[in-house]
Amino acid sequence: MLSRVADAVFWMARYMERTDNVLRMLRTNYIASQDEIQNFDWQLWVDGLSARSEAVVKVSNYREALRYLVLDKENDSSVLINIVRARENARSVQDYITKEVWQCMNDYYHLIHSSSTEQLLIENDPVTAIDNLLRESVLFYGTVDITMSRGEGYTFLNLGKYLERSLRTLDLLELKMQEIDAGGNEAMHWKYLLYSLSGYEFHTKRYKNALVSPDVLDQVFMNTQFPHSVLYSLHQAERYFRRLDSISLPEHFKEMSFLLGKSISNLQYGINSNAPAAEVRTVIVNTRAEIKMVAHKLAIFYFGYS
Amino acid sequence: MSSTDFLSDYSVRPNVWDEMYWQGNIREHYQLFFDSLIQASVTELSHKDDLAKKLFMSQGITFTVYNDGEGIEKIFPFDIIPRIITAKEWEQIELGIKQRIKALNIFLRDIYHDQFIIKDGVIPAALIHSCPGFLREMVNVNVPFDIYTHISGIDLIRDSDGSFYVLEDNLRTPSGVSYMLENRNMTYRIFPGLLPKNNVRSVKDYPDLLLKNLRLLAKQQKNEPTVVVLTPGVFNSAYFEHTTLARLMGVDLVEGRDLVVDNAKVYMKTTAGLKQVDVIYRRVDDEFLDPLVFNPDSILGVSGIYYAYRKGNVVIVNAPGNGVADDKAIYPYVPHMIRYYLNEEPVLKTVPTYGMDEPEHFKHVFANIHKMVIKKTNESGGYGMLMGHAADEKQVAVYKKEVEKNPRQFIAQPIISLSSVPCFINGKVQPRHVDLRPFSLYGPDGIEIVPGGLTRVALREGSLVVNSSQGGGSKDTWILG
Repeated sequence: MLSRVADAVFWMARYMERTDNVLRMLRTNYIASQDEIQNFDWQLWVDGLSARSEAVVKVSNYREALRYLVLDKENDSSVLINIVRARENARSVQDYITKEVWQCMNDYYHLIHSSSTEQLLIENDPVTAIDNLLRESVLFYGTVDITMSRGEGYTFLNLGKYLERSLRTLDLLELKMQEIDAGGNEAMHWKYLLYSLSGYEFHTKRYKNALVSPDVLDQVFMNTQFPHSVLYSLHQAERYFRRLDSISLPEHFKEMSFLLGKSISNLQYGINSNAPAAEVRTVIVNTRAEIKMVAHKLAIFYFGYS
Repeated sequence: MSSTDFLSDYSVRPNVWDEMYWQGNIREHYQLFFDSLIQASVTELSHKDDLAKKLFMSQGITFTVYNDGEGIEKIFPFDIIPRIITAKEWEQIELGIKQRIKALNIFLRDIYHDQFIIKDGVIPAALIHSCPGFLREMVNVNVPFDIYTHISGIDLIRDSDGSFYVLEDNLRTPSGVSYMLENRNMTYRIFPGLLPKNNVRSVKDYPDLLLKNLRLLAKQQKNEPTVVVLTPGVFNSAYFEHTTLARLMGVDLVEGRDLVVDNAKVYMKTTAGLKQVDVIYRRVDDEFLDPLVFNPDSILGVSGIYYAYRKGNVVIVNAPGNGVADDKAIYPYVPHMIRYYLNEEPVLKTVPTYGMDEPEHFKHVFANIHKMVIKKTNESGGYGMLMGHAADEKQVAVYKKEVEKNPRQFIAQPIISLSSVPCFINGKVQPRHVDLRPFSLYGPDGIEIVPGGLTRVALREGSLVVNSSQGGGSKDTWILG
């Protein structure tokens, strides 16, 4: 397939995955701020989710925070901008993705721009607004699964999806650790982290203790049955990457396999769930750098970047 | 809605051929559809109108106006009531277009080789050489199967007596065919059951025919040629059409930056390395095709592609240089071409055309300006026109000065009133003016035209300008079987 098309499909998947993750997290945070956590620190999330170079925006309440994080056109990391970018990528490969996927992207785009979404989010029940958006997101995943051919494009799409997912999980974990540092009940913060990753139910079934750090870190980093864990995401990325064997130059394939394998091994054998927070932070930073290197090499070897 | 209610708002302008309504009666070929239409209430029709808009939006059949980074989505206006053409009328249209395309194609072959038509004094040499679409680079270039006009859209209009006239020939990169296909898809959603009931001929073969032709063009070199569609990119207003055609044909949609020329062969950059391209259906204008030969500032094209083409290593569709044949100053000579090359009488009429470089024409046109339209010879899209009946004295004076500066660049024609058809506008069924652009495909097997075309409609009351850039819309076109 065309390098440009592979690149656009990869990024479409990344933006869609990012959107889905951010929305789940915002939904959980909003509920937490209404129910359990007094004086929920929205500013931490606004700062944490913004691109580092952006000027810091101050928010004074949850409505402002939600508006900024979901709908603000000036915020380069808002959900709206993510969807616009995903759709712009989809538009440039409209002939390659299926008509159904394209239509799905369109419906999503029109929904986030609709006055009803804004009204629900800013004046009424934000959960309904987020749920409506998340429904479009799962429709996208389902439509991709049902209609897209299992060719190269599907491989790049999944590479984008799983690399992005692993990065999101790392970012979220890092922000949660900052929240825990700031104080409050640790178990409660862990619970909301797991809610954000759609993994709370899984945790209660799989782990017997009541939300202790080693268990949570084990699930979020290493559990290969938990679809948002970093290791699960990297395994998936590696599984899809192997399909590129037949079209790759041998040296490219070898280097990519090495990088992916290394990041998986480092994670599997380089972390102890009982480790102190400082050590966990180092693992987060290192793993993130390794995953970014994988994406960087992918762009050079397959997408024609120089 | 009763028939009388329906027609109470339907006032046909004098001296206009209305395709549905004639002397208080509904024409026979509209009767069946009309009977179904009057069973629907205004509310139902409005719902259908809304449904069509919603479908266009959600299917992304839109163009984007970019400002401040993020674009605004717009749909091309669509009118829900189809335009109906009888089998007999279509037979004439088809015959006339095939004849015209054949002659124009021979003209292109002749003008870029022996130029017999100039030597025999049928067309003046000065006219050809002053034509911006004439490419010296194409002289003595042999194109596969001697075909230049692979895809053409001939614009037709109907005068007050109902006869068809050719308004202009589009032989470069005519657009609109995706709307022909999408408008049909819309009709079966908004009028379930009516297409089979009216025995409407299908248009869906178009992409298959096009692909067949594109592949056949490279058959001399390769059994399994690689065909691509070349687009200027997502910012082009016809981008939706480019993706639709690529998707329906199952070929790659490439941009200039995806292609590279090496050793006079064209390759596309894929994840697995370079892959040779054999046939390019380009939707990029001649001027931007190759910065080494044409506009050096162009980044839409590919350096060296024209050399690869001349070497016969790649087929470019349509052939470069077709602009000399659809120039508005050449238009009045097309009937002469038909007689000269084919020894036949033209089937379709041509609108009388006055080249403004003739002083007598100039005088005549400005003496009768209220009956005339003046156009620039190398502009399309309804730009640069002066409609004499709608212009005031000041506008005429300004335009006259423009013409005096470079009269070769202008032609004038008497205003043809354009036929009208029913449209559903603001909750009422009203007549509006239309033209028709059928799309013909010329391949090694001959010329084929899918039974249909793009009907463009001037949505403003009384307006004769159908271009989408000037407040025009489109509607489905039914050719009855």
